[in-house]
Amino acid sequence: MTPYARVLVIVAAVLVLLSACKGPVESTQLIVDTDACTGCGECVEVCPYGAIEIIDGNAVIDPSLCHFCYRCVEQCPEGAIY
Amino acid sequence: MIGKTIPLLLLLPALVFAASLDGWMDVQTGGDSLSPEPGRLELGGMLSTDNWTLILEEQYSHEDSSGIVPRILNTYSRTDIDFIVDAGPVTINPDLCWTVDLGDKPEMVLPVQAGVAYREGFIRPGLSLAADFSENYHVFVKGLYWNRDLKQENGYDLAWTESRLNGGISCETSGFTLNMSGLYHKTNSDFIDYESTWGRFDIAFSTEPQSLPAHFYVTGDVTYSFYNGTNFLGNDLADRFTSRIRLVRMIVPSLAVNTTFESVIDYDGEIRPACTSAESRIIYHFMRSREVPSIITLSGKLSTSSIRTERAVLFSRINFYRGLSLLLNAEARSTPTSVAGAGDTRKWIVFGPGLEYQLATTLRVWGIIEQERTDLEEVEVWWRVRTGLEFYPGSLSL
Ligand code: SF4
Ligand code: SF4
Repeated sequence: MTPYARVLVIVAAVLVLLSACKGPVESTQLIVDTDACTGCGECVEVCPYGAIEIIDGNAVIDPSLCHFCYRCVEQCPEGAIY
Repeated sequence: MIGKTIPLLLLLPALVFAASLDGWMDVQTGGDSLSPEPGRLELGGMLSTDNWTLILEEQYSHEDSSGIVPRILNTYSRTDIDFIVDAGPVTINPDLCWTVDLGDKPEMVLPVQAGVAYREGFIRPGLSLAADFSENYHVFVKGLYWNRDLKQENGYDLAWTESRLNGGISCETSGFTLNMSGLYHKTNSDFIDYESTWGRFDIAFSTEPQSLPAHFYVTGDVTYSFYNGTNFLGNDLADRFTSRIRLVRMIVPSLAVNTTFESVIDYDGEIRPACTSAESRIIYHFMRSREVPSIITLSGKLSTSSIRTERAVLFSRINFYRGLSLLLNAEARSTPTSVAGAGDTRKWIVFGPGLEYQLATTLRVWGIIEQERTDLEEVEVWWRVRTGLEFYPGSLSL
């Protein structure tokens, strides 16, 4: 097995174990993937609560204003919010 | 007299400092049966010397929530001015950003059940300072202040302001980086008697092992974020532990696989697995000796938290004559949806061919015709045309 395949197997096993953890999978905040975000601002336009701002070229979500309506998740062309 | 003055004025900048001037333009537009021509125009200019850089960017956007029915439309302009001064190891960067919402003012649902207001834009001055104490130590502090133009239907201004301060330090040794940073955010609106503050303190550690087999790169990072403040329900914000690992394997020089795993755990007295995500991307470059190299990328991403998102994308650019290339774009997605009657999840597929012309790094013009099939109350199908032009005339020495 190549080193790459070995690391992949280990990480996949950790992830499977993590996802199998008991307890609510209930995110208290959304995540913005800053590698994928292009700063296009489309999420800002659809957020009904004014919770998103573009700072230094990336979308930033204000956790005190976000109401988890998931419009930004659906709108983001890069799939960068989840 | 005027004939002599103008060349002298033109020469003046060159006598005072050796500078370079750059400019760029990016236009995108399109349209479909549902949308009145969404479009975006970005213009930028940069004047730089050895010691300072001035950047001016202007963006004019006509946005639509493409694919979501009913659509949200807005037109706005955004201006960014950045002035960056390098004074030895210290960088000083004052900046100013303002937006103006044009046309129909978008609605904003206010906190504390204060109804709705209408966005008309904002002005946001900022200042950041950064310093490199040595090759390994870096500190920064950044402050931002928003003055938002938010009006109620009767025209009353909400006096909505926000301020944000963050700063931190990072130290690097061979292959390891430690970051510590703090953030404080305050939102205030006297008119609706609303005040909210929250803060975060991050400790982050990242590593990039140096002794790995050839063509194999791994980076890993872990961050613990302590939060204080409350969410919109008044519940405390939970602390968050994020870990991420990235693996890049170059199988042959033209083929690379890039994989990222991410795991997020929240802690608010109870440990909750908050999100797990995985993304993989295969990138294949070929016909590299031609004017424009050809590329095929295939990527997939899956995330599961309180929501589940799935995305798979295939993109190819195949160069067939000088700067001309054939494009193919296909995307399949599944996300939660806000479309009434569509259920919890929306699944959609977008695909279509296009054509692109590139002239070295100066010009790129492209057009793509796409079909979208979205599973709403019933499967809706529509066609869309997207076009773009990017222009970079190069750097001019003054
Ligand atoms: S819509 Fe997506 S890519 Fe655009 S700014 Fe928001 S998060 Fe970034
Ligand atoms: S989930 Fe809704 S409220 Fe939260 S940032 Fe996204 S659009 Fe705004």
